[in-house]
Amino acid sequence: MRVDTMSVHLVASLNRLRLIATREFLSYLRTPGFWLSLMIGPIAAGFGAMAPAMLHQAAPSPVLTVVDLSATGATPTIAAALSGPKPLAILVGPPARATEATSAAAAGKALRPYLSGDAPAGGPRLDAAAILSGRPDAIVVDFWSRDINDPDLQHVVRGAATQAMQQARLRAAGLAPELVAAVSAAAPVVHSYSPRAARGQVSMKDRLPSLLGLGLAFVLFFAIFTGAGILLNSVIEEKSSRILEVLLSSATVPELLGGKILGVAGVSAFIIAGWGAMGLLALQRTAPQMVAEVGAALMTHGLVIWFALFFVLGYLMYASVFAAIGAFCETVREAQTLLGPIMILITLPVMFLTVALEHPDAPLIVALSWVPPFTPFLMTARLAAGPPLWQVLGALILMATTTAAVVWLCARAFRAGALSTGKLDLKRLALGLFAPTSTPT
Amino acid sequence: MAALELEGVAKRYGDFHAVRDLSFKVEPGSIFGFLGPNGAGKTSTLRMVLGLIPPTSGRIAVLGSSSVRPNLDRIGFLPEERGLYRLMTPLDAVVFFAGLKGVGAAVARKRGRDMLEAQGLGEAIGRPMKALSKGMAQKVQLICALAHEPELVILDEPFSGLDPVNQLGLEGLIRDLARRGATVIFSTHVMAHAERLCERIVLMAEGRKVFDGTLAQARAAAPTRLVLEGALDPSSLSALPGLASVTREDGHVDGAGLYTLTLAAGGSAQAVLKAALQRDLDISRFRLETPTLHDAFIVLTKAHGRYEER
Repeated sequence: MRVDTMSVHLVASLNRLRLIATREFLSYLRTPGFWLSLMIGPIAAGFGAMAPAMLHQAAPSPVLTVVDLSATGATPTIAAALSGPKPLAILVGPPARATEATSAAAAGKALRPYLSGDAPAGGPRLDAAAILSGRPDAIVVDFWSRDINDPDLQHVVRGAATQAMQQARLRAAGLAPELVAAVSAAAPVVHSYSPRAARGQVSMKDRLPSLLGLGLAFVLFFAIFTGAGILLNSVIEEKSSRILEVLLSSATVPELLGGKILGVAGVSAFIIAGWGAMGLLALQRTAPQMVAEVGAALMTHGLVIWFALFFVLGYLMYASVFAAIGAFCETVREAQTLLGPIMILITLPVMFLTVALEHPDAPLIVALSWVPPFTPFLMTARLAAGPPLWQVLGALILMATTTAAVVWLCARAFRAGALSTGKLDLKRLALGLFAPTSTPT
Repeated sequence: MAALELEGVAKRYGDFHAVRDLSFKVEPGSIFGFLGPNGAGKTSTLRMVLGLIPPTSGRIAVLGSSSVRPNLDRIGFLPEERGLYRLMTPLDAVVFFAGLKGVGAAVARKRGRDMLEAQGLGEAIGRPMKALSKGMAQKVQLICALAHEPELVILDEPFSGLDPVNQLGLEGLIRDLARRGATVIFSTHVMAHAERLCERIVLMAEGRKVFDGTLAQARAAAPTRLVLEGALDPSSLSALPGLASVTREDGHVDGAGLYTLTLAAGGSAQAVLKAALQRDLDISRFRLETPTLHDAFIVLTKAHGRYEER
């Protein structure tokens, strides 16, 4: 009889959870913003992937001149280093007043108007200039550039000058010009191997799990960032319109909080699944052979399974915190005062993600991946490198325990906040966290 | 079995005592008024009854159970401050809230449609809540609280914000609920509604119960007044027996004075009139004013704090 009553209550409870989650899910599905997010995501990702190449293609090559004051003979080497399908720079002859200078400083002074856009009529408009002085085996380069933030061209000129100096020294040592040319052209054939690579030799297929790990960590970041934002706004709306009080007279806090988190997780999952489907379609069209490789990469070291576990725990932890904050605020402005520290907490691990990709076993990354607020992001990024199982399991257990504690505290805060009125104050928040409750939370 | 029973209930927020030692019973099928000025502790008490906040001390039994949780589906609640999802339609709102109380979607949809149409909201059924007037939205929220046919209905200040016509409509709805067998508890600080609807009332002031009983008992707490008009001398009136006070009113009729005589406890209006006539006082008109609940409310709450009528 008691078992029957319990099962009836459980069914009723699950039904309330379902109703709250469904309402939450459908309310966002019906907004234009949801469909915009769904469509804009892949467009932004595609643009982000292609933008650097497009910018490189679209940007005009800088105009460079070389003034060789002491006949170092490095100009042809520099010209060769700049050549390519899209030249790194367009090499032009130096203005006469620069070549007539007797020192590098005087040449620089003569070139300055050409670099600052005040060139005399008919003179070239320069983006950069390299003034070579010294001797052929000890070249001094004064590099002038309009763009002080782009060191690439300077590096190329420096490399070419180095090569010219080396050649000059070899020639001075008595080597035949053919031999000097052969020495300069010598370059090793490098094969990349790793015990972590399936066939020993590292290929794109071996790098794919790490890249996917990084990608999944960003997916988690996106899901938490957007999902928690939706949840926060939803709770604020219910709080400001006093719907929360009615809901709490019909459902328990776990049903309400759980239903809302589940509904918003559904929204995030729908968007991510939509993006995944679009990505798969694009991959099938452009590189069909990669589809199977991506599938295999997702299963490397159980990546997708661990990711799912860390995703659920991370989402639950952050979503509970956001919902609790929302319950104390009647406007988004009020919420922003509390959101700052949380946003820093979420953003912090993202800054370490690329480091985690390159150095998954770096002591700082390993240590941070044990800190629960960072665990879902950093452990996901580390997973592809095959960290020790005890570390993954240990971090998972610690994360699960912390999430349980955070959800418990947030449920209490949610109840206290939902029934509070007036401005948020920390004393009331603390009282809400530790005050007794009459119905199960 | 009482529909609701409170015994020594108290609620404290830090140093602030919202409710002190509150005990009362509500009989099943009755309309019960929970009255008091703003800040008297009415909303805190109703929240404790609903299990939204725990009492600091005392015992609460709702529909025979000391735990409200298993009985929430048998309770309908309309909070003091109202709101619904702005993009939801009235019918969807009714289906959603009835669903939370265990009513199936098909039944809730049919019941919701019938109730909305009965309240004159048939044309608004498919419109988003944000397009409805405040009065219409309040009706929708009331229907949301009632669509699951609760046994106990708790309405926190249900008349606030409604125009006089809708207030009368709500009074009718409350009577219908009681006729159907539901117990209705409503809080208000406007006595006229309680006077027309309630069988019993509890009056609160500053967190304490200051009265618990029938309307007649409440009215008896306020003094009866006798209004006399004529060429009267205040000192002669003061000499009459059984009076607590004599007040000269501002109004004058053809040079005659208008006086309100407040009877002392146990005083008889008939005895006062008889004495006045025996003393040949020049009375042209008289009127007996029996106390209203409003008078009782002021008298009963006066000792416990301010009464501000909204």
